[in-house]
Amino acid sequence: MSIKGRGLEITSNLSNENITENENQFIMKKHRTKKMLKWMVPLLSVGILSTVSVLAEANGNPGIGSSFAPIITVEEMVAVTVRGKVTSTGDESGLPGVTILEKGTSNGSVTDIDGAYTIDVAGPGAVLVFSYVGFESQEIVVRNQTNINVSLEEAATAMNEVVVTALGIERDQRSLGYDVSTASAEDVTQVSQENVLSSLAGRMAGVTINQTSGPGSSMSVVIRGATSLTSDNQPLFVVDGVPMSNSLNNVSENGSGNQVDYGNAISDINPDDIASISVLKGPSAAALYGTRAGNGVVIITTKAGKKGKDMGVSFSTSNVFERPTRLLDFHYKYANGQREGVFNDGSAYWGGPQLDVGNLAPQWDSPLDENGNRIPTELRSYPNAMRDFLQTGITSNNNLAVSGGSDKATYRVSYANMLHQGMIPNSDLVRHNISTSVSYDIVEKLTFNTNFNYSNSSSNDRPSTSERNANPLEAVYNSSYIDYEGMKGIWIPGQEGIQQIRTPAGDNPYFIAYGMENAFRRDRIYGNVSLDYKISEDFNFMVRYSLDRSDENRETKIPFSYSRMERGGYYNSDLLTQESNADFLLSYKQDFGKLDFNASAGGNIMTRFGSSTNIGVGGDRNNGLVVPGIYNTQNIPADNRSVSSGYFKRAIYSIYGLASFGFDDQLYLDLTARNDWSSTLPLDNNSYFYPSASLSWLANYTLNLPENIDMLKARVGWAQVGNDTDPYNLLPLLSTGVYNDINTAAMPSSINNPNFLPEEATSIEGGIELNMFANRLRFSGTYYVIDNRNQIFAVNLPRSSGFSSRLINAGLIQSKGLELTLGGTPLNKNGWNLDVDLNWSRNRTSVLELVENFDQITLWGENGAGAITFIGEQIGDMYSRGFVEVQDPNSPYYKWPVLDNAGSWQRMNAVEDYRKVGNFNPDFILGMQTGLSYKRFVLNASFDWRQGGEFMSFTYRYGESDWKSQRQLDNLIPGGLYSEDELAALLKSNPDEYIIPRPGNFPRVGGHTAETGGFPIDENGSDGAFIPGVIQTAGADTPDNFADDVYVEHLGGSGTNVYPITNTYPWRFNEQVTFDASFIKLRELSLGYRIPNFSVFRNATFSVYTRNIMLWTKADIGIDPERAFWAGSGNQGRSGFRQGIERQNVMPWTVPVGFKLNFNL
Amino acid sequence: MKNLFKFRKIAVFLLGLVLFTSCDETLSEINTNPYGIDPANANPNLLMPTVLSAAAQNYLQLGYNDLAGAMQYTQKNGWYGGHNNYSWEARDWAGWYDILRTNDLMLSRGEDLDNAFFQGVGLTMKSFVFGNITDLWGDAPYIDALQGDEGGDQFQFPKFDSQEVIYDGIIADLQAASSLLGSASSEGVTSGNDIIYGGNSNHWQRFSNSLLLRYYMRLSVKKPDVAKAGIEAIYSSGNYIQDPSQDANLDYTGGANDIWVSRHVRLNPDDFQRFQACQTFVDQLTMTNDPRLTVWFDSVRVQWVADETLAVEAESFIRANGEPIDVIYTYDEFEEQYADVKFTRHFNPNMADYNTDLYVGLPPSLLIPESYNGNPIPGQGTQNLHVSQLDPIYGSPGSPGDILKARMMTAAEVSFIFAEAALKGWNVGDAETHYNKGVEQSLEIWGKSDMYDDFIAQPSVAFNNTLEQVMTQKWVSNWTNGTEAFADYRRTGLPDLQTGPLSPQPEVALRFQYGDDEYNFNPDNLNAALNNLEVTSFSGNFGADSQWSKPWLYQGTTIPF
Repeated sequence: MSIKGRGLEITSNLSNENITENENQFIMKKHRTKKMLKWMVPLLSVGILSTVSVLAEANGNPGIGSSFAPIITVEEMVAVTVRGKVTSTGDESGLPGVTILEKGTSNGSVTDIDGAYTIDVAGPGAVLVFSYVGFESQEIVVRNQTNINVSLEEAATAMNEVVVTALGIERDQRSLGYDVSTASAEDVTQVSQENVLSSLAGRMAGVTINQTSGPGSSMSVVIRGATSLTSDNQPLFVVDGVPMSNSLNNVSENGSGNQVDYGNAISDINPDDIASISVLKGPSAAALYGTRAGNGVVIITTKAGKKGKDMGVSFSTSNVFERPTRLLDFHYKYANGQREGVFNDGSAYWGGPQLDVGNLAPQWDSPLDENGNRIPTELRSYPNAMRDFLQTGITSNNNLAVSGGSDKATYRVSYANMLHQGMIPNSDLVRHNISTSVSYDIVEKLTFNTNFNYSNSSSNDRPSTSERNANPLEAVYNSSYIDYEGMKGIWIPGQEGIQQIRTPAGDNPYFIAYGMENAFRRDRIYGNVSLDYKISEDFNFMVRYSLDRSDENRETKIPFSYSRMERGGYYNSDLLTQESNADFLLSYKQDFGKLDFNASAGGNIMTRFGSSTNIGVGGDRNNGLVVPGIYNTQNIPADNRSVSSGYFKRAIYSIYGLASFGFDDQLYLDLTARNDWSSTLPLDNNSYFYPSASLSWLANYTLNLPENIDMLKARVGWAQVGNDTDPYNLLPLLSTGVYNDINTAAMPSSINNPNFLPEEATSIEGGIELNMFANRLRFSGTYYVIDNRNQIFAVNLPRSSGFSSRLINAGLIQSKGLELTLGGTPLNKNGWNLDVDLNWSRNRTSVLELVENFDQITLWGENGAGAITFIGEQIGDMYSRGFVEVQDPNSPYYKWPVLDNAGSWQRMNAVEDYRKVGNFNPDFILGMQTGLSYKRFVLNASFDWRQGGEFMSFTYRYGESDWKSQRQLDNLIPGGLYSEDELAALLKSNPDEYIIPRPGNFPRVGGHTAETGGFPIDENGSDGAFIPGVIQTAGADTPDNFADDVYVEHLGGSGTNVYPITNTYPWRFNEQVTFDASFIKLRELSLGYRIPNFSVFRNATFSVYTRNIMLWTKADIGIDPERAFWAGSGNQGRSGFRQGIERQNVMPWTVPVGFKLNFNL
Repeated sequence: MKNLFKFRKIAVFLLGLVLFTSCDETLSEINTNPYGIDPANANPNLLMPTVLSAAAQNYLQLGYNDLAGAMQYTQKNGWYGGHNNYSWEARDWAGWYDILRTNDLMLSRGEDLDNAFFQGVGLTMKSFVFGNITDLWGDAPYIDALQGDEGGDQFQFPKFDSQEVIYDGIIADLQAASSLLGSASSEGVTSGNDIIYGGNSNHWQRFSNSLLLRYYMRLSVKKPDVAKAGIEAIYSSGNYIQDPSQDANLDYTGGANDIWVSRHVRLNPDDFQRFQACQTFVDQLTMTNDPRLTVWFDSVRVQWVADETLAVEAESFIRANGEPIDVIYTYDEFEEQYADVKFTRHFNPNMADYNTDLYVGLPPSLLIPESYNGNPIPGQGTQNLHVSQLDPIYGSPGSPGDILKARMMTAAEVSFIFAEAALKGWNVGDAETHYNKGVEQSLEIWGKSDMYDDFIAQPSVAFNNTLEQVMTQKWVSNWTNGTEAFADYRRTGLPDLQTGPLSPQPEVALRFQYGDDEYNFNPDNLNAALNNLEVTSFSGNFGADSQWSKPWLYQGTTIPF
């Protein structure tokens, strides 16, 4: 909310320069137009017109304080009558209600409805103070003037911030009874991002943003915590009144192990077109959007031209370069193989012979002797393999905008492109945007507005990043001893296109990167047309039609010899979604003296449909293509060609209204009401009504507060929102398929519900805002409670019922949260300005009630446990499977694992044996933005600290089960270095450290070699290890009676089961890979320089920046906890996403460096 | 409020007036999926292949996989938890109940349409699937099962029925099925969709009667009279699977939806190499010169040769036709390029001990199976040059009519059941005749009919009037039907299997643990059922729900322990 303050210094300086500019305007104009054309030609030849009216903003707010210092001289005291008109800058109409005080006296006056005033003052020495809420006060010395016209500047702080609220209605932030966070154009574009959502991370209290993988992958926005058990909890995006479809899970698997994340559709928006973003967080704010606003609303307003402005051109370009900085914590000490003495190039394990010590082995690139046999060569490590494989990622953003307006019309046209070359070779992402915005006064009272946007996003190759097989980065981690540079040729000579160069351990990363291609192309059109009719001064009528249509084609080509598809494959899918909204709004506003009244009423018809068709390789994945290298559907064998299609349609009809009352600029009351009729609910229950109310009180105008307090506001809001469900959830339908060439049908395993009620969320929120010291200190706090009732979600049934789940309406899920923001301008003098904004938030969601017979909700299950919430507990709790441990508190072995006779942990599968290992929600999130400016230099930084919470890492589960991680080696107890007795004594000296499993480590004793503590096994090596614990020899059959329990220690003495170390991994226990998720990230850091105007170039800025730099993670394993999102089946609700667990996040951390230049003509 | 409703009316009117979106579809029409099939109108011909393919494939999956490990046909050298050492914790039965759900719809559609064929097939498959469930786990939801869509606690959380109730139900259903199938016509049946019998109701009747034989024999200890009467009656009817052409088989066609070890294996060559012969089975087959050995298993790639002159324990290289070569080739290269080459490796028997046979299996439940018999490249998916793996036919694409099939019930099994019944003195003819027939029928389906005379003439094979011999040959003939061998083993303790060091208990396990799913979502009924399991001295820390606890059928016996 106070973010705008940062731009203050810049704009005020600019406007000073503009004064001289204006004087020369006539002379300049001709010259400029000519020069502009000269510039336009090459830009046009690039392709298309574009936009960005940075001009408009830049001409905005001049600085705090008047430059007219009051100089009081002693003159003759003669009473004078002064007249004049007060206007606001940039608007010729008068400001009513401005107070005019003669300084040092109680003499005062107020402007009338036209902004005119009259005041009698003591004489020429008098000083008039003009003040008005939301504007900077001005002091003017009367001298010998009798007519003083004053133009007041809007206060450039949160005081009067205008925010876009529901239905696009602009409101004074101070009048709102609920919390709305905003970001300006500058915030969004300071640092170029591929996805506009990236720029919101860490900026807004209560808004959590996660990305699943690298650039171009899906981003999740969750506002005030996940509350819906079935949806992906993503907010509704509304761009210029057009609801945009956006989903979280955009992953599809095209070919075995080839999972590709095609990214959110919301990334189709060009950040440079954005004028402002408002985030309506609670139901109070979002109630008018109804059904779809349950998770909050992100309202994006794009830039438009301004009336009476000459044509302006703005241009910006940026380039970012990215290199890897931090890799996974892998050791590169041992070659592939499962035993110390045995090199095995087909093994996934890094448990073979030591590297770099002269061990010889015949390798894939060893030279051949005269018989064609490989001559053994030295096994060396290549820890830089990943850095060598990755190339410099480059992202280039260019934007050109033209805007302007006449008396009757405004226009803005913008063209932007984004070109991204990924760090993974051959991967890319390209986006072109064209947007136009036009308004035209057809007749005096009738205005026509239209926005039209076209975006084309495409890629020749999106890398597969969240699974193992087709993931080129995972392939680099397949082997520790290979210099992959040598495999760059990809194909075995003479077998081009048929057989890649690889080892049995896995695919050649260059083959995956260059050979397997996942292309997509998405054309998206969104926009609206509307007519505004000003019926009278008080009445306004708007009717609008908007459309958002997205057409996407995905095409995957897989060549012969891919390890999971020996004859390659081809996949082609078409996806179409379209949403249209037709709405109208009738608005009325009236000012009854002290009472302001606004009311609106409207209605909306929404229809959405989607369809998809997919063609690809069928169930026999090794029978993909007939002829190598030909990628079309005919080349898939007819009996192994899989074809499918999908379709859905839904509609919601709505009417709504709102009324807001403002009393004396102090007290504001908003009331809203909406009724929806949804197609997805049963006919009897498909209508639902929900109201909201909010109250805001500006206490500083009511109470006599100390002078330092600029604003003290208290607010409270209450709202109820309804929600529907997905289409076709009422009645069962058979699923269909084929068995070889026979058509089949099957009964679905989930039970639908013909008797749904709408979901209902009731929220109450209260907050306080306080601005002090000329708005140099700004605080706001919000506390909210949201009760979600009647949630529609699936409860699991035992499979013996014949069904796996049943959709029900039930439960009470309650979210509580606190959001605090603190902003300050600790420094503002001598050209220096420092702004600091902090936001802190904490959200907790608990399951308070469920339906009878269910005491738990499983968000996702994995490896015998998962993210499960029991009644009374919190959403996000994560559990790991139990194991048998000594339960007798009096036993010396209390809590030790009870191993089976073969010396291994014993699984316990019952719910009561689950071990709670954490919660995926952070304890709190702290975001910080700072802006420091000095004259023409501006330094901005944005930090994000998430404290607490846990995540499970399946990157490490796989990596460590293959014994690749250094961490696991470090945690080994080098038992072979001790005598039997010493070892037992050591282990028993600290069982918590050496024996008892805990998150992150299940202790094991041994090593890869005799020198590192391994035990001798056989001729293949001394790489033995065992699991410390006890073996129960009596009393196991009476688990509740400890008296007859007998345990034998399993600590390395005789009878200890010693295995090759690679056989001792706790694969069945996710606790081994549960880590603390705390981290601090530097989201953005930019240093900008405002270039003085020269020639036709104005408002030019050059900046250098970087972003998303991980500064610290508690887990310290090279995994970004923010990416603990796993896309795949076995879902969290219906979203297909699992929060709190990550899989194959092998993308290294990076430090990008970017340069950005923008200017106006 | 009144004004509000008035407002709503006006608003709706305006909406209709102003907006140009056509609203000719009502909201409920929009929510009707134009492409869906209503279960109430389902064509049972579409449901039948779903049920049949899944049932046969699930059965095969168990039979060649984990239960083949338990019954010591095979062992695996990687990912061997469930295969070699009875790591059968938390076995979900979702796959079986999923089949039953669709089967139930087929059954009720058969009733709606008054079609005896679909009713008969439905009851037969219901019995087949429930038979597997109770064989493997013990008590299970049966009477109240599969009706979760009726709502209510009784059906959403079905109680567990005792194994006895389930077996009784199976027998009653099979009798009903047999009677329905006896009068069924082919009207309304798409023969191609009957992927087992092509719509032949007589064969279906034989299958249901043969399943009756299977389950009567299961009950032969607990309910000998019922078993005797039932088996004798079916024997006298002659209406059972008499010939391999009547076997209940799903063809392995090489199509995309096949599931067989071979398809599985072609998808993942590593996995193929994980399946290796078990020494217990190899010993039996080699002892009797069984011609099926070479059909099922491949010889070792490299045979050990004892050579006392060697100075080292074993040579680090292998020899091609006796000549040393440096390279250890992978499986594919052997097959394609060196079919005629005899590979060997030499060792000194005074210093080391290796199995020098041409066919070598993994002993059961080894601690480190991947290293067995001097494997120079131990790994969880790598080939062991010195141990036999599956024959290459299991890695071939397959086509209709191949000897590889998903076998649910065979003529050989029926013959061995009659042989066993005859040994009990029941009135089912002569034990030797049935035994010989069983052996012959099994050789036939593996393409070795011509070897029958030689094979049966051997002293170790020729009928000796013992149950052990009958059960041992039945065990051999049950290759890839490990589920049935497992049931026989638990009932008779035959063949006398010994487990190995990696097994958590020194005995072969007896059952699957109940799955997480029932533990999580049906805990009360599950816990009640646990009381019906007999804890044995090998149950260990798992308590009643242990792999080594005894369900009703095996309670009160000392077989196998």
